[in-house]
Amino acid sequence: MQKFWIRILFIVAILILWEVSVILDGRLEKFPHPVGVWEALFRIGNERTLWVAVTQSLTRVLIAFVIAFILGVVFGIVLGSFTILDRALSPIIDALRSIAPIAWIPMAVMWLGITGKAAIFIVAYAAVFPIILNTYHAVRMIDRSLIHAARTLGASKLLLVYDVMFKSALPNILVGARISMGFAWASIIAAELAMGIKIEFGSKQDFGLGQLMVNTLFIERDINALVLYMLTIGVVGFGIDYFMRVVRRLSSPWALL
Amino acid sequence: MLNSVKLIHWEFILPLGVLGIIWHLLSLYLDNKILLPPPMEVLSAWWQIFNNELPGDIFASLLHLSLGYTIGVSSGFLLALLAVSFSPCEIILDMLVEILRPISAIAWIPIAIAIFGIGELVPVVLIVYVSLFPIYINTVAGIRSVDKRIVSVASTLGASRHYIILRVVLPAALPYVFSGARLSMGVSWMVLIAAELIGGGSGLGWRSFWYEQFFAMHKNMAVILTVGVLGFTLDWLLRKLSARLTHWSPDTRLEG
Repeated sequence: MQKFWIRILFIVAILILWEVSVILDGRLEKFPHPVGVWEALFRIGNERTLWVAVTQSLTRVLIAFVIAFILGVVFGIVLGSFTILDRALSPIIDALRSIAPIAWIPMAVMWLGITGKAAIFIVAYAAVFPIILNTYHAVRMIDRSLIHAARTLGASKLLLVYDVMFKSALPNILVGARISMGFAWASIIAAELAMGIKIEFGSKQDFGLGQLMVNTLFIERDINALVLYMLTIGVVGFGIDYFMRVVRRLSSPWALL
Repeated sequence: MLNSVKLIHWEFILPLGVLGIIWHLLSLYLDNKILLPPPMEVLSAWWQIFNNELPGDIFASLLHLSLGYTIGVSSGFLLALLAVSFSPCEIILDMLVEILRPISAIAWIPIAIAIFGIGELVPVVLIVYVSLFPIYINTVAGIRSVDKRIVSVASTLGASRHYIILRVVLPAALPYVFSGARLSMGVSWMVLIAAELIGGGSGLGWRSFWYEQFFAMHKNMAVILTVGVLGFTLDWLLRKLSARLTHWSPDTRLEG
């Protein structure tokens, strides 16, 4: 209980200090401040732009994640099961993994245009590697003795694949999915920001959170709204992470961790 | 998959060679140098910019990285020491970390641009922010996980508090600190490229979009390759360094 009050007190103190120092400084249009952010919340909460943008970004993340998940699981299983393919393909995967996903934006824009597709490519690129790695390790870590035991006890092929292999690999695959969702959410914002700043705007209908932030930064010049958007990104990111944890717990309750 | 540390090895070169050949054939098929520049052209573009602007860009990027990373990692480490030493600090710092961590550094870019303007400060500030968390979390976890018995033994044998902290606790926590430093480096490199590309005025990320505006995709591709090679090298160096400095730790030996 004492902990709780220390925290509350600290947050309140920080907020007051922040507000006072910005007001004393006097440049209210340059620095964000708590009261301004609070006002922005009500101003923007009444409009639909923020929700449209969040939905747009989330849709892109979801499409990209599904692509990355399918590719990642397939590659992970193949690499984990066949040593020759593992040796042949892992240098390529390691090389590609070293390239920051964001660095592909110029090429992605060339290939797929400035619509959402380029952003989806970047997000899928960022999201696929944690899934490949975790699926690979999940397949590798399936306990041999479980397979032998099931075989000895006369398990059918289906039972062996589904009840033994799939069920022991699933928790680890979902750990990868959770990490990759985190990457995906960070990179959709990066991709949309880069496309908004460097290329052009397109129609307001296509705005994701990133483009919305660019618009707010350069055209509306509303720094308090920017902080609000940033907090929104944090809250949505937290929500996604929580959701992925729940999915893992519900879908593989037999996993210990 | 994680063990491709040996850089010069046919197992490493052969697949990349095959990838290069596929790339070459694909570019012949597409026959469009802007959509997909052929690999030989990218290599010659790389050589060309390597003799002109590329070293300056690499230097700028490494400067952003080393400034931000040094400040971020050392302050994260110091904050962790503070959190472990004084419990009120820990309550507050833990709360701040929990609040701020879900907000990715990328989301700060527009605010950084609004406050600092487009330029050198944006990537540096963001790297400070992003490299703070892994090192803080790992250092706290590392110090907490130090075997209490070792500390008791040292103090029974008459070691001073000073000696225990410097010679017993910190070395025991070192492997954790290093894996935190490696995590910090990984995220820093990603954020560096993003920050330069979106809000920087120099460096590799900025350069890649600069080429894109002239449709010089072969040069752009050369920059992308440089980003990949440098990112890989930095991680490799840090892995070697931590293996060298913590060779006595069972965790390191497990990693091989």
